[in-house]
Amino acid sequence: MVDDWAAGATIGGVAIPGLPDMARMRADRYAKLQGQLEAQGVDGLVLLGSADVAYATGADAPGEDSGRAGLFRAVAVVVRGESAPHLYTAFWDGVPDEFPADHLHGPLFPDLDDGIEHFVHALNGHFSSGATLGVDDQTYPMLRTLGHFTWTDATAVLGAAKILKTVDEVSAIREAQRITEQAMDTVREVLRPGLRQTDLSGIFLRRIFELGATANAIDPIWQVMTPTKAEGPWTVHGDLAYPTSTTDRILREGDIIWVDAGICHQGYASDFGRTWITTAHPSPTDRQTSQFQRWQAVVDAARDILKPGVSALELGRAAIAMNDGVKPWMEHFYLAHGIGTDSAEMPLIGTDLGEGFDGSLIMGPGMVLVFEPVIWEEGYAGYRSEDIVAVTDTGWVQLSGLRYDPFEVAA
Amino acid sequence: MSGVMALEDGARVDFTRLRRDRRRRLLAAMERAGLDALVLGRSANVRYAAGARLLWRAGANPFGPVCVVVRSTGKVHLLSSWDDGIPPEIGHEDLYGLFWNPAHLIAAIAAIAGLSDSRRVGTDSITPFFTGVLTQIVPGVELADAAGLLNEVRAHKTADELACVQTALSLAEAALAALDDALEPGISERTLLGVFVEAVARLGAPTPPSESVVFATPRQGPVRFRYLASDRLINKGELVVLSPGALYAGYEAGLARTRTAGATPSPAAMALGDRCRRAIDALITACRPGNTGGDLYRAWQATGEPPAEIALAWGLGLGAESPMVGFGRGSDAVLEEGATLSVQAWVSQEGTGGFLERELVQVGANGPEILSRSER
Repeated sequence: MVDDWAAGATIGGVAIPGLPDMARMRADRYAKLQGQLEAQGVDGLVLLGSADVAYATGADAPGEDSGRAGLFRAVAVVVRGESAPHLYTAFWDGVPDEFPADHLHGPLFPDLDDGIEHFVHALNGHFSSGATLGVDDQTYPMLRTLGHFTWTDATAVLGAAKILKTVDEVSAIREAQRITEQAMDTVREVLRPGLRQTDLSGIFLRRIFELGATANAIDPIWQVMTPTKAEGPWTVHGDLAYPTSTTDRILREGDIIWVDAGICHQGYASDFGRTWITTAHPSPTDRQTSQFQRWQAVVDAARDILKPGVSALELGRAAIAMNDGVKPWMEHFYLAHGIGTDSAEMPLIGTDLGEGFDGSLIMGPGMVLVFEPVIWEEGYAGYRSEDIVAVTDTGWVQLSGLRYDPFEVAA
Repeated sequence: MSGVMALEDGARVDFTRLRRDRRRRLLAAMERAGLDALVLGRSANVRYAAGARLLWRAGANPFGPVCVVVRSTGKVHLLSSWDDGIPPEIGHEDLYGLFWNPAHLIAAIAAIAGLSDSRRVGTDSITPFFTGVLTQIVPGVELADAAGLLNEVRAHKTADELACVQTALSLAEAALAALDDALEPGISERTLLGVFVEAVARLGAPTPPSESVVFATPRQGPVRFRYLASDRLINKGELVVLSPGALYAGYEAGLARTRTAGATPSPAAMALGDRCRRAIDALITACRPGNTGGDLYRAWQATGEPPAEIALAWGLGLGAESPMVGFGRGSDAVLEEGATLSVQAWVSQEGTGGFLERELVQVGANGPEILSRSER
């Protein structure tokens, strides 16, 4: 029995399914890419980045360190007007079932000069000389041999296709998030003074694979927050340093840790953020509880007005007003970011892109927002969690769970 | 002396010296290549230049200007909004923050002392957008390939770098021991992958080079090398590939063994194992200074095995490095003395299963030295 968590909510008139229909999702995504190629007058895409290849083809690849992932990378080629993408990969067992056999090819190794003629030959077979092609990364072997095409950034086509998710993409993000949250439940239950940050990573990563995750996406963060900014790392802007990378640091009684982790499941990222207290029987102080409640009020203030047609600027202003005029997010980040095959993508709300940008960024059905406001009380640390919602035809649905242990949501 | 904790007399590896040596070699290589500055985006290259602990993200990410090296000042500049994880030789004034607005990023990079006076700027890859940005920041710039230069300096390793590889190897071997202990009929590939990743994390290295570390091979029907762990439960008597790796301070090591689940190997499995060992021994024997990738291909061919389904060897250091010998590439690549290579052989037999062995091999002056130690 599939959980009908979306309760009939729709995007573009289509109901969000309890579990994603992956084949339908891949077809819909590919149609969007084709639509953008047509609309923008681009003849095709040549994609090297892991997340972009996943978006264009739906193919899975093992989670890998960037060096290995780069050398043995899969390459996706999208030709305007063709019915399916081309995939050049060694990872045959990650290719979707419906992928046409004559579009699946061996790996190309665009980082190597040796054999680059195979890449040239492949592209010459797909495109005529002078074609305008969107690309996400250009290696020097490519630059030396593929000058007979006109290269442009793939970002315009990809960004326009990716910003509005289909119902299946929304469901896939929710599924990735569900796995992440279940794994985090295990970690929180065993959190005790004396464990190392890397021990927590080990417990988390073991659980995500037992629960079916395709891959891990980032080194999980368990940052111990200092009471004041001055006691934390120096920063370029004077604001908080977060997220800093995990070490073998031993956690101590009472340490406030800001957790942040994300996996990749069926191509989609999750994003889990919570504030935990390191102790066997956590019982937040009144001050900590008030920080949490303020965080919740800020998220509620934005969510209360969230629906198609609302601008990012209006959402940001609602959050600031609820925090007594103080911007409740970090200088280098945002009130909210999108999520999809990348862990942070458009729409971004409250960044240094500025108010003009935010004013022109209008919420539409299918946008996914990860709210991550920060409530900081200098001298007493603060509270940060992440809440994920998807904008629907009439409002929004919640994609992340609503438990914030050890903090309790007021009735 | 393997271990990940600092000792009162030092940190086992002298990281200050390691970083200083790397920077010196990088600047010397820039001078030889006539490059005035580098703008680097690939994580391993950034790590080589800066030696910073930056947030680890999986996968291959498109180019971004994460690190800038200016030859005239000898300085390394890094995209980091804070100094946590940043070594002391990179000062606060050498850090530039994370921006979402390209105009702000461009301004921050343009302000880097000495960059705008450069003529030849090397990058390790690029995008059309950043080609435009660098052309704007550095008037009359000539963009040049720095990936080859980084490959070259990374290929020659100092004793400190090799010590990091050895530490990573001890972590990978520990993970293999954990996998061996956990392997039993009825366990799933996913559960074993979980055992692996917890093992390396508990040792302090939670970001493995690859999550492609476990697959069972079927005793019926065609046998292919697989990359993704599945829900599949492992049956008694099946040959199971275990190929753990680990990263220490960015340096990679790994190995692979094939075990029979819950039983002594069948005569057919033993024969397949012998075939695999003959093949990998032939490859390792060919890992001599001055030999080429072509010698590895010829050694493989001489075993009588069909053309390899996977790479025969690739360099290991700060992750995967050149040379890559496999998929028809790398015939002309020269194996230089001191190079560390991941060498592997995969053989399969319908009705029996598949067998993978992978060893970490150093190309020594007098021949190959196998660094990995786990029981075969």
